[in-house]
Amino acid sequence: MAATSVTAKPASKSKTKSKATLLNALGYKSLLTFTILALACIAGFASRLFAVIRFESIIHEFDPWFNYRATAYMVQHNFYNFLNWFDDRAWYPLGRIVGGTVYPGLMITSGSIHYILHALNIPVHIRDICVFLAPVFSGLTALATYFLTKELWSSGAGLLAACFIAIVPGYISRSVAGSYDNEGIAIFALMFTYYLWVKSVKTGSVFWATLTALSYFYMVSAWGGYVFIINLIPLHVFVLLLMGRFSNRIYTAYTTFFILGLVLSMQIPFVGFQPVRTSEHMASLGVFALLNAVAILRYLQSKLSSSEIKYVFTIGVLIAGAAVFCVVVLLTYAGVIAPWSGRFYSLWDTGYAKIHIPIIASVSEHQPTTWFSFFFDLHILVITFPVGLWYTIKNINDERVFIVLYAVSAVYFAGVMVRLMLTLTPVVCVLSAVAFSRLLEFYLKEEESASKGGDSSDNDENDEKGLYDKAGKLKKMKHEQQKDSGADQGLGINVRSFVVVAVMMMLMMFAVHCTWVTSNAYSSPSIVLASYGQDGSRQIIDDFREAYYWLWQNTHDDSRIMSWWDYGYQIAGMGNRTTLVDNNTWNNSHIALVGKAMSSNESEAYKIMTNLDVDYVLVIFGGVIGYSGDDINKFLWMVRIAEGEHPKDIQESNYFSERGEFRVDSEASQTMLNCLMYKLSYYRFGDMKLDFRNPAGFDRTRNAVIGQRSIDLTYLEEAYTSEHWLVRIYRVKKPHEFNRPKIDKAERRFINKSFVSKKTAKKKKGSIKNRPVVIRGQRPSDQ
Amino acid sequence: MGLRLKIYLVCLFLTLTSFCNATSEDVLIKSAERTIDVTSQLVKITHRLTLSNTGKSSVNSFNFHIESRAQQKLSYFKAQLADGKDSSGVLKAVSSTVKGVLTYKVTLSSSLEPGQTVKVLVGTVFTHNLVPHPAEITQKEKQLVQYRGSAYIFSPYKIASQTTKVLLSSSSVESYTKVKPSSQSDSTITYGPYENIAPLTEVDIVIHFENNAPFLSVANLLRHIEVSHWGNIAVEETLDVYHGGAKLKGSFSRFEYQREHSGVSSIKSFKTVLPELAADVYYRDEIGNISTSNLRQEDDGDVSLELRPRFPLFGGWKTHYVVGYNLPSFSNLFNSGDEFVLQMDLISHIFDHMVIDDALVRIILPEGASNIEIETPYAVTRLPDTLHFTYLDVKGRPVVEIAAKNLVENHIQPFKLRYTFSRIVMLQEPLLCVFAFFLLFLTFIIYARLDFSITKDEACDNRQRAAGIAENIRNHYLKRSTLFQAFETHVVKLKSSRDINAFQASAKNITSDLRAQTLDLPANLKSEHPQLNDRVTEIQKQDKAYRDFQSTHAQLVERLVGGKINKPQFVDAEAILIKKRDELVEKLNHLINTL
Repeated sequence: MAATSVTAKPASKSKTKSKATLLNALGYKSLLTFTILALACIAGFASRLFAVIRFESIIHEFDPWFNYRATAYMVQHNFYNFLNWFDDRAWYPLGRIVGGTVYPGLMITSGSIHYILHALNIPVHIRDICVFLAPVFSGLTALATYFLTKELWSSGAGLLAACFIAIVPGYISRSVAGSYDNEGIAIFALMFTYYLWVKSVKTGSVFWATLTALSYFYMVSAWGGYVFIINLIPLHVFVLLLMGRFSNRIYTAYTTFFILGLVLSMQIPFVGFQPVRTSEHMASLGVFALLNAVAILRYLQSKLSSSEIKYVFTIGVLIAGAAVFCVVVLLTYAGVIAPWSGRFYSLWDTGYAKIHIPIIASVSEHQPTTWFSFFFDLHILVITFPVGLWYTIKNINDERVFIVLYAVSAVYFAGVMVRLMLTLTPVVCVLSAVAFSRLLEFYLKEEESASKGGDSSDNDENDEKGLYDKAGKLKKMKHEQQKDSGADQGLGINVRSFVVVAVMMMLMMFAVHCTWVTSNAYSSPSIVLASYGQDGSRQIIDDFREAYYWLWQNTHDDSRIMSWWDYGYQIAGMGNRTTLVDNNTWNNSHIALVGKAMSSNESEAYKIMTNLDVDYVLVIFGGVIGYSGDDINKFLWMVRIAEGEHPKDIQESNYFSERGEFRVDSEASQTMLNCLMYKLSYYRFGDMKLDFRNPAGFDRTRNAVIGQRSIDLTYLEEAYTSEHWLVRIYRVKKPHEFNRPKIDKAERRFINKSFVSKKTAKKKKGSIKNRPVVIRGQRPSDQ
Repeated sequence: MGLRLKIYLVCLFLTLTSFCNATSEDVLIKSAERTIDVTSQLVKITHRLTLSNTGKSSVNSFNFHIESRAQQKLSYFKAQLADGKDSSGVLKAVSSTVKGVLTYKVTLSSSLEPGQTVKVLVGTVFTHNLVPHPAEITQKEKQLVQYRGSAYIFSPYKIASQTTKVLLSSSSVESYTKVKPSSQSDSTITYGPYENIAPLTEVDIVIHFENNAPFLSVANLLRHIEVSHWGNIAVEETLDVYHGGAKLKGSFSRFEYQREHSGVSSIKSFKTVLPELAADVYYRDEIGNISTSNLRQEDDGDVSLELRPRFPLFGGWKTHYVVGYNLPSFSNLFNSGDEFVLQMDLISHIFDHMVIDDALVRIILPEGASNIEIETPYAVTRLPDTLHFTYLDVKGRPVVEIAAKNLVENHIQPFKLRYTFSRIVMLQEPLLCVFAFFLLFLTFIIYARLDFSITKDEACDNRQRAAGIAENIRNHYLKRSTLFQAFETHVVKLKSSRDINAFQASAKNITSDLRAQTLDLPANLKSEHPQLNDRVTEIQKQDKAYRDFQSTHAQLVERLVGGKINKPQFVDAEAILIKKRDELVEKLNHLINTL
């Protein structure tokens, strides 16, 4: 689907174009544009549906489950209750104020869609809205990219960019159906804000700048990545100032945007006063001050003579810059402005997180990007992107400065963190579209003057070219063909068609690659696993939902489940039970406590668990089916995070074998073999013989026979294990179940010694019994 | 409904009080055979009674008592003539509680004259009447249950001879109360025969035996039947099921469950039989599709659905799921004119030997249905009607709600729902869509065609007008170019054919065509679009030059053909001309493209 629509595009375009010269060109052109954009949206939507078609309409992975749960809560209660929602099912016993700790844009978006549909009596379940939200927004992103590229370059490049962004894997990775996450709508908001910004820089109108601020407001409500916008736009203005491109248009656009954007962004509860109090936002404020200073100087310039102005200008700029910088630094020291956050530091120093915040480092999407993943996510675009960049730099103007800055900064950030590949992808699409557009324009246009072929570029000026060619052609063929072809810029028709075909092939390969990556890498819901037998039959492994649903149905409503934080959102969403820690990793010490419980021995862990009122412990164990993302493989992170908070009790080195390896077999250290995680993962696994080739207790994930074959549990008992042993749930025994008998309330007897007060009316005052009698001694006689 | 029922009951009470005393002495049960079937979780008791009238007057009815301990658990009662066919011999029975004893008054089809006998079959089904003992077992243990009942039939009449057979699910019996003569052989315990037992005599018996049959019950059943007159009936059942047997004590071990096949009383899967024409079946719960189910078409035509809950159900465990399917409406919806009858089972099969504690059936009729009357096969509670809103509804669809308690498989019987529905109303929804889209397009048309800006953009208008004129001019010259080309073709042809007359005729044609073409330019072009005007003048000049070239060229060729000049001269002259022409073409092309 994705492949055909993209590659078919140039052909259909050229066909229609040749007719366009005969009839109303404008009408055909807009019809064509409309058709291509519609196809791009449909292709983008359709290629994101692999997971729905292969599995079902289901929410994927981890964070989307929380977003879904929050949305369902908002739909069930109302918006204000949602903002005031105190979630007592998370972070037991602390709880979480959800309204103040989420970006509500996502929930509001799907909640409004749900509201509108239900107002029209269309009973679509909120889950389906959530599942299909990201694909729908990817269509809108394609439109926003089209408009942005059109403003920056040409509408032809815009169409290419829209087609690219619709199917590029770097964006699909975060927006497949079911991946109900902030990024799904945020990329649309990002591109749309940029489009409006470029538009307002071009026009200098308050109207467009206001729209930019509104779109920015939506972005702030949707994703923490809004910080990227509020730094990139000031950077753009700053660079324009440096380049001496100050104009009243930029002044109007930026000041309007900044003031409105600042006020609007502070309306989001989670953001609050951050825009005026944190370092991340200070750049925009500084640029605002600088821009005003420049504007004043410009004004003075018109009043003063040129020799004076040079002096005043230099001094003025220096003073303004220094003043802003000093104020920011002073305020930071005074504590009014918060310094950079840890996550932000890790953007500059990739080693920072590993040393200081293991919890950030433990998340796989915070790892640095490999070269492989650039190609995997962008394919041919990664090569054409610098070409487009070169073209824009060559033909620079005010708004192209913006895309250049965007490109350069996004490339850097994408290199630092895998996750930020997402912000790079749109700009890569835009610039690659510019490159391809130039290429096709050049080769197809020349081809046309030589042959009768159509014209694929969308620029107006070459629409009616060659009206009189037909007149001249006949003669040319007869007499001067040889002479002409010699003068034809050295590019023969063969070379041209070869290049065009090669480009088409590359685009086709791109489409194939995109579809393949989407289908194979990004379309797994990860809560339902599928394995394929030798005969191609599909077997579904649905252990996660099996166990979570067991929790929902067969445990007490306010049972507290302890698990590693990865599964917190899923337990809350699919199991509807209280968790201790979850994917909103706001409290490091609480996570460390859970990590400590998992890495301690059973009796130590029991103390922690009773302190935290834990009823059930849930672990993920992949040893039976060879699932590599299980808790034993994540275990070292638990140890590290626990060690960060409790360095006396937990030491990472204790968990390694003598040769310094992390093992589970008989060479593993005693600490490892006795820790809770090991016991819970391998309980009764030692008797399990999976196949005839391997002995009992053979762990398929780590390819080793486990070191401790007979594991006894004193303080816990197996409550449930899913069919493929993927999820194991243990019940924490109450104290009376293992060391002292429980006595029913009715049978409890309190030994109640009848107390008789010794106080009588006479001795009302307190008196000391057996009062010491002071015996007056005799003074030793002087000698 | 409620009022009618009350009146009915009052009448019944009156009749009962008048008959009861008179008949009890006159009727004698000559022989009674009772079968107690406890192989499943239900207690199914069948009585084969031979009644005889020993009195003087004829008897129309007889009473049947239910033991007080099992009264609450009675789910189903049915009396029929023993020799009659299944449906024809069913006797009318009315229940009432007399002195704390639940009594069914069964009216005989023909009155029993003195001295005559009649054979009657009475069947009763009790739910939750087998008590697990011990109440909690570990995973390895087998499930033992106790049945408590009476060795004698609890009857208001004297019974001359009676035997009781208890059918057990297995031969392993822990203990049973012995009332002589009683015996056990394999999985059957026989009590009796007992002779001449006085009315209302009870001897308690307890049978403690192994029963690993699935003790699966439905706590709540919510059944939606949504009727669409477009040819579909959608059925959706939401169920809360639980294992009502002995509770699981201690831990659940997956290892033992998989490798040692322990947990014999647990429920891994069960089979639901759906109607023959059921299609688009789904099986899911709050967190999505339950991937473990199989759909099979049975030999007898029914669709059987093998459902496996997400996890095996042990004693005390429960689960919740939704099963839904579509039925074509022709199988269940009948009409005559605008009068419709919906005939469907009130509840459907969920699993064998099922128990439904609470059921709520909601029948959603199409929007606009009126005069709704329902006829149910047994007494149920009809709740007040509500409205349901779904796709494109304006007034809402009427919903008939029916509640029932304590149901078993014998209750799978059809109801009849009559209502009036005018077919013309079916057009409402498509028309609504058509109208909505029409409005949408209309709004867009109006928006696109009209100018809503509050300021007038003179420059933009001007530009557009100029573009329109330019387009006009371009088209004009396009046509001219085709004619020019035709002329040149003729010139080339002339060179080879040397037929001057033919050439001149066609040349004349083309010239007249060219002359016929006129370019109307607006009169104010010069003042309003001076640039455009200049361009047009320039083009006209070039065009004229081109035309001149063509005539010169034609003359040259004519001269060549006429033999007035020789070949080399001609070639030289033509080369100069062609060069000139190419320049002209280029200039013209450029001019027109940049218009």
